[in-house]
Amino acid sequence: MYSHDGQDIFVIDGHTHLWDASPENWNNKYGESWIKCFYAFHSALSPTEEVWPFDKFCRYGDEVLVNDLFRTGYVDMAILNSTYLYEFYKNGFNSHVQNNVVKAKHPERLILCGSFDPRDEEAGIEAFQRMVADYPIQGLKLYTAEWRGGSRGWRLNDPWAYKYLSLCRDLGIKNIHVHKGPTVYPLSADAFDVRDVDYAATDFPELNFIVEHVGLPRLDDFCWIATQEANVYAGLSVAMAFIHLRPKYFAEIIANLLFWLGPDKLCFGSDYAIWSPKWLIDKFIAFELPDDIKQEYHVDLTLDTKRKILGENAARLYGVDIAAQTAKLTRDGIAVERPG
Amino acid sequence: MLDPELDEPLLQLGFIRSLQVRDGHAHVALQLPTSWCAVNFAYMMAKDVRRALLTVEGIGEVSVRLGDHCAAAEIEAAVNAGKPFAQAFPGEGGHGLAALRQIFLRKGFLSRQERLLRELREAGCSAVVICSLRLGEVTAEEDAFVIRREGAAPLRGGSADALRRYLERRSELGLDPAATAPLIVDPSGEPLLPERIETYYRDARTARVALEANGAFCRAVLAANLRNHGEG
Repeated sequence: MYSHDGQDIFVIDGHTHLWDASPENWNNKYGESWIKCFYAFHSALSPTEEVWPFDKFCRYGDEVLVNDLFRTGYVDMAILNSTYLYEFYKNGFNSHVQNNVVKAKHPERLILCGSFDPRDEEAGIEAFQRMVADYPIQGLKLYTAEWRGGSRGWRLNDPWAYKYLSLCRDLGIKNIHVHKGPTVYPLSADAFDVRDVDYAATDFPELNFIVEHVGLPRLDDFCWIATQEANVYAGLSVAMAFIHLRPKYFAEIIANLLFWLGPDKLCFGSDYAIWSPKWLIDKFIAFELPDDIKQEYHVDLTLDTKRKILGENAARLYGVDIAAQTAKLTRDGIAVERPG
Repeated sequence: MLDPELDEPLLQLGFIRSLQVRDGHAHVALQLPTSWCAVNFAYMMAKDVRRALLTVEGIGEVSVRLGDHCAAAEIEAAVNAGKPFAQAFPGEGGHGLAALRQIFLRKGFLSRQERLLRELREAGCSAVVICSLRLGEVTAEEDAFVIRREGAAPLRGGSADALRRYLERRSELGLDPAATAPLIVDPSGEPLLPERIETYYRDARTARVALEANGAFCRAVLAANLRNHGEG
């Protein structure tokens, strides 16, 4: 909970990870260079005093996560992504099985995302159903650009993806987070194309599609699609991190999103542990759009809009009643440090 | 030499770490922001650098190195032997590199055009004037561009660089170069109507922000990577 001028702001961090990228878990050289790539993102855009040592960044554990998100980071609830990367990491990078350990300790704080890969076809259907039955899966995180064997990724409108999405609809999993972000290998460029979201969003109006990283660097394509589809949302992780080093671009990205999508479709995300919610939220609350940007785009980032972005929009997607949830969370034993 | 996606010079981005020429053999070392930068982009950059160096008099051979890129060995082997991407990376899905380049070229065009449109507006041109300008009526003179229209006093406007950069992309897209052709056209060469220009400008503005923000991200990540490796 963030308190600003006596007003409480309920915060849902829409994009967090609890990964194990420690050297013991590296399967090959890719395990090492993958986490070094993340570390470059982390050290590139974080304020100097927020940069972690590399070994901590490789594996921080659930106590550090709970502290950084819920005790000091103002976060009331967090959406925990599952990313498997078994080709790089012996036990996976942050599978739903690994994530469920911390989810079980803090069930009211964490929203657990599972995943599917349509390239598993029929064989994957049963595993998917089992995952949903055995784990408290409330959303999915999909990586359409992941390489596998000879495949350079898949598209949301592939026939098998549609079978899995139909299953999501039947099982009541409504929120589909799709990673569409910076072009990194072995995530292929073509598969980062955001246009497949357009088809799936039209054909599955009961589902919500949250495009993580707002499709950067394909912000223009993303905005165009999101204006056409009522059920397409913007996940702000990566874009948020511009706020410190490149505030001008942060302002322009937010202005574009407000212009095209409006304030009700944008969801805060830190991409923890690449970046941490505390400094992002401190800077976000203090941030004002420069006058020239306001005039150019005819939008404003008011406190009401910030409140929507920080928590209300994601709460609506996940059916979280903010007042009831706040009451529950005060009793869950995590002593929250209020900003002085 | 430009980064195909970012539309910024490789040198300015800091991607070219060293260049040495010995006995007509150029050795060039590239360093991309991370070892995980997309393989097809890395290939394109390495190939473009090699091709450009081969046009320099006195250079007969070029070896490109890709530093710690995760597919450095495969890309170097292919590029330095002049092997096409599809042959070096069979099974790479989706469009070929030519189609990808075309997408980037169009986005670069929009982004450069947005800047010119902004400067034309700031110079006092109305939508009607902007849409009626002919190629031959706008010239770069020293630092500024100058608009000379029949029956109107010459108008000295914004940055000549904005005009040059736009015209460069306009010509690369193969659009009508005649002096009487409209200056402002969409990426397929169609002239714009004054009532459409505001909508068009908003689209181009988002394309420009996407490109510039991505460029800023890549620069910051490269700098961090060099710092982390003690080379910054």
